[in-house]
Amino acid sequence: MLSRPGLPSFDYVRAGSHDEVVRLLVTGGPDVRLLMGGTDLLVRMRDGVVRARTLVDVKHLPGMRTIAYDSAAGLTVGAAVTMNQLASNADVRAHYAILAEAASAVASYQVRNRATLGGNLCNASPAADTAPAVMVLGGRLVLCGPEGEREVPIDEFFLGPGKSARQANEFLTAVRLPPPRQGARGTYLKLGRNREGDLAVVGVGVLGSPSSEVPPGYAFSIALASVAPVPLRATAAERLLAGQKPGGAAFAAAAQLAAQEARPIDDVRSGVAYRRAMVESLTRRGLETVWRGLSAASSGRGR
Amino acid sequence: MMGRQVEQTRVVGTSVPRVDALEKVTGAARFTDDLQFGPDLLFGRVVRSPHAHARIVSIDTAAALQMPGVRAIITGADTPGFIGLYLRDRHILATDRVRQVGDPVAGVIASTEQAAEDGARAIRVEYELLPGVFDPFEAVQAGAPLIHPDLGSYDVASFLYPRPGTNISHHFRIRKGDVDGAFGRCDTILEDTYRAPQIQHVPIETHVAIARWEQTGEVTLWSATQSPFAQRSMIAAAMGIEPGNVRVIGNYIGGGFGCKAGVTMEGLAVAMARRVPGRPVKVRLTREEEFFCSFVRQALVAKVKIGATREGKVLALQVEYYWDGGAYTEYGTNITRAAGYSSTGPYFVPSVMTDSYCVYTNNPTGGPMRGFGMPEIHWSIEQVMDRLAEKLGMDRVQFRLLNCIREGQETVSGMTMHATGLSQCIKRVAKDIQWGEKEPPSAPHKLRGKGIAIMWKAPAMPRNAASEAWVVFNEDGTFNLGVGGQELGQGSFTVAAQMAAEVLGVPMDRVRVARPVDTRYSPYEWQTVASRLTWSMGNAVRAAATDARKQILDLVGRCWGETPADLDIRNGEVISYKSERSVGLDKLVICGLSMPGDRELIGGPIMGRGRFMPTYVTDLDKETGQGTHGMVHYTTGAEAVELEVDTATGQVEVLRVAAAFDVGKAINPELVKAQIEGGVVQGMSSGLFEALRLKNGEPLNSSFVDYRIVTTLDAPQEIITAVVETAQDDGPWGARGVGEHTMVPTAPAIANAIYDAIGIRFNEMPLTAEKIYLALAHKA
Ligand SMILES: Cc1cc2nc3c(=O)[nH]c(=O)nc-3n(C[C@H](O)[C@H](O)[C@H](O)COP(=O)(O)OP(=O)(O)OC[C@H]3O[C@@H](n4cnc5c(N)ncnc54)[C@H](O)[C@@H]3O)c2cc1C
Repeated sequence: MLSRPGLPSFDYVRAGSHDEVVRLLVTGGPDVRLLMGGTDLLVRMRDGVVRARTLVDVKHLPGMRTIAYDSAAGLTVGAAVTMNQLASNADVRAHYAILAEAASAVASYQVRNRATLGGNLCNASPAADTAPAVMVLGGRLVLCGPEGEREVPIDEFFLGPGKSARQANEFLTAVRLPPPRQGARGTYLKLGRNREGDLAVVGVGVLGSPSSEVPPGYAFSIALASVAPVPLRATAAERLLAGQKPGGAAFAAAAQLAAQEARPIDDVRSGVAYRRAMVESLTRRGLETVWRGLSAASSGRGR
Repeated sequence: MMGRQVEQTRVVGTSVPRVDALEKVTGAARFTDDLQFGPDLLFGRVVRSPHAHARIVSIDTAAALQMPGVRAIITGADTPGFIGLYLRDRHILATDRVRQVGDPVAGVIASTEQAAEDGARAIRVEYELLPGVFDPFEAVQAGAPLIHPDLGSYDVASFLYPRPGTNISHHFRIRKGDVDGAFGRCDTILEDTYRAPQIQHVPIETHVAIARWEQTGEVTLWSATQSPFAQRSMIAAAMGIEPGNVRVIGNYIGGGFGCKAGVTMEGLAVAMARRVPGRPVKVRLTREEEFFCSFVRQALVAKVKIGATREGKVLALQVEYYWDGGAYTEYGTNITRAAGYSSTGPYFVPSVMTDSYCVYTNNPTGGPMRGFGMPEIHWSIEQVMDRLAEKLGMDRVQFRLLNCIREGQETVSGMTMHATGLSQCIKRVAKDIQWGEKEPPSAPHKLRGKGIAIMWKAPAMPRNAASEAWVVFNEDGTFNLGVGGQELGQGSFTVAAQMAAEVLGVPMDRVRVARPVDTRYSPYEWQTVASRLTWSMGNAVRAAATDARKQILDLVGRCWGETPADLDIRNGEVISYKSERSVGLDKLVICGLSMPGDRELIGGPIMGRGRFMPTYVTDLDKETGQGTHGMVHYTTGAEAVELEVDTATGQVEVLRVAAAFDVGKAINPELVKAQIEGGVVQGMSSGLFEALRLKNGEPLNSSFVDYRIVTTLDAPQEIITAVVETAQDDGPWGARGVGEHTMVPTAPAIANAIYDAIGIRFNEMPLTAEKIYLALAHKA
């Protein structure tokens, strides 16, 4: 019922190499946990939800804290890049603004100095604020295991609350995003019970870009946080927008579809009815915001 | 008593910097958990009931006693005495039954906190579950489970009226005028029910106490407390020892807001320490424990019926308050009383019938919290007044100006109202918020509104709540000011130092406040509660400084052959307006003076002493709640709010708050402003976000993850503060308290502004975005 005062004791290992991490994971089994910022892990250990004898700190390994951008290859974010690092990086802000926005929506400034992108995703919480952004940007997770590296598309990564496609002997080294779509605009809207520091009651990421592949000339991606056991793509809403002229009516209809796609629960944070309604409100608001950006850009080009 | 004429002052009335500012901003200030005890220190952890109501069948400590590091274990058998401030209805550890989730059942003393925790987890307690009751209204119905069958045998203060055989631990009544007849003369009558949930004080510093039994049989308790002296007497009574053998030392406090008043967990440290004489034992609450194992604000169900003439004069009021006092109401009973004798709010109502019930439930124990019942009752009063004004077609500000209490009118408890600047406060906030002007909302999906609420509050305390102070000097002419009131962030040490510096004619940097408060060395102070320090302790400080001043002037007058009336103290020097002679305080406050010609020494160390007790307060009649001077005085004030509601999400943004309070005299205007800003933010937090969510007495959100409070980003963009100064005849320089008051009107002012914006009333706090959105959707 009540948490312990302070943390239970554990061994701390600062990993020296990728191989060492994998070896420790293989030999230690469930007694070993990976540590980056610790803002999820240590809290859960204190609460007795997670028990671990050894914490393996992986954030100092080469590449874990670097952000690399290349207009042809796209963006590679080391798993241990912090939210504040991400939110202030010039390339991220210029080409993947929705990711910077999502990173600044996490927790509070102090926590964002420690909280990492990789930790946020590996924690596999339905409320992870960066998940919708990485989803609409088409991110892939780079996992390192005994057989070397493999990439998992984010749409296949989340399996349930706290469950992911990461194998017990793998760890996340980076998140890769494809080159930005030309002229793309995105926004992440987070609704908490108060303005700062709350977990999302509902989070909605919307990305739109000019596209010759769909009849209306614009493609939209929508992803939702906190309204299902996993972060969710609103695929029905996306399909509807692929067939309708962008604007108020299409956005309202798409928002309604997104609300139907959500599978929220009642909990101490909010009830089902409100969560569903907020998926609609925020999706619509997100689409309108993105559309304003897209329209301004196209009229700017027209001049 | 002081006269009402305005006095010339040099230090009082100026915003000198806080005396504790530097050490607090640099982190040098020491709080109780910072104190070092070396390798002797042991730790205590507590086994708490997981059940809301159960009989303790057995406690098996055998395994726990074998755990590494465990020194001793205490159970209810070690703490048979009763403890409580106004009603002794609890034990330090539960003896035969537990009455709330979190009730302490056993305590483990061990070499580390972790070992104590491991020991606590190894204790097996067998319970036999009892039916619980979780709503105060249900708890007063016949057949409800009885939570304190022995209520009739408990020690109780003379002004409380428990009803043995029921769950009612106090029933306060007002019977004033002919209520039925008055309702008959009303053109408009309204009835409504309002609710306020349990909330918690969430001080940044959780409760912590360290106790050590000395070889002499004395016990020393270091605790983060608002009440060193009350802890001394309450713990002594519960443990069967003499108060003189209990020494309580109170360091700086990281916020209290009432939850560190009286005794909650401190007795546990003392009871544990008794088992390991000579060794200090530290007990500190985790944040989760803090949420429901000390005090919570009592929940309230308020049923209100009110009537007025078509001209807008309120004639009659009938109120029923059902206070959810929780498992123990040793302190909450007096909140029930204060609510009853203030049940009209700051209005003149000729006929009133009030029944205020303090009710036991199996919810967390209620206790004092900033406002002491006033925020909860004003939540109902100020909304019903708004509704009444609307029904009468009157402007809400005009309606309040018409009915608010004025000097000379009789209050609900039969006292003649003293001078008050309430009308000025109302006019001031109306002006500052541009009442009557409506600006368009900032976006199409937003609605904008304004609301106002007014308040009053009297210090709630027994008649003999006393203050004492002393002044002693150092060789350099600086002096130590002894006070027994606590500095919990509100600035009490600073205003006390200002008052003493004023009287003694020295600059602020010559004053040393003697801290920490230590019941062995500090002067007496009942408790740091009720916003009473500036006023009550201030009176004692002024008296002590005046006493020292008189001794000094008499001494110098005798030496110089002058009359003290011609002498003054300026800038640390005694001067004569007649002879123009002067002498520094450092030359005389310790070693006295030699008479002219060096023949004789006179004087010696100067010590000034002062005290204050509101001896003029009278009892209230048991049947009618009437008395000529039932409370010392009321502080009044008003707040007005402008806000926007986002209709797509239900979120509220508080744009501006205008606040004005009649503080009698602002001893330190900047500190008054800080109290107003802090109170507005805390009031807003309770109005919009805060509720301890309970399911059959079990808290569901006892952490900051899910118990949300206002952050700086949520706080109002602008808080416009104003101070009104209508001198109080029993206050130092006319001052009254203002600490709690500032939180009282905020939540109802917000509710009234939300109604103005969206046309929907909410009777239950808090007004979450979810609640507002769903109501908007329901209306559409
Ligand atoms: C006060 C507070 C507020 C918060 N608010 C928010 C919020 O608003 N939004 C939000 O989304 N989150 C929030 N969080 C949660 C948390 O801060 C984020 O999820 C954060 O991004 C986690 O990153 P981290 O580096 O701290 O992860 P850690 O705690 O170090 O790790 C998280 C999990 O991932 C595992 N892990 C760590 N590294 C790896 C790796 N390389 N490969 C595989 N698994 C790994 C760990 O074992 C653990 O299970 C909050 C937390 C706190 C304490």
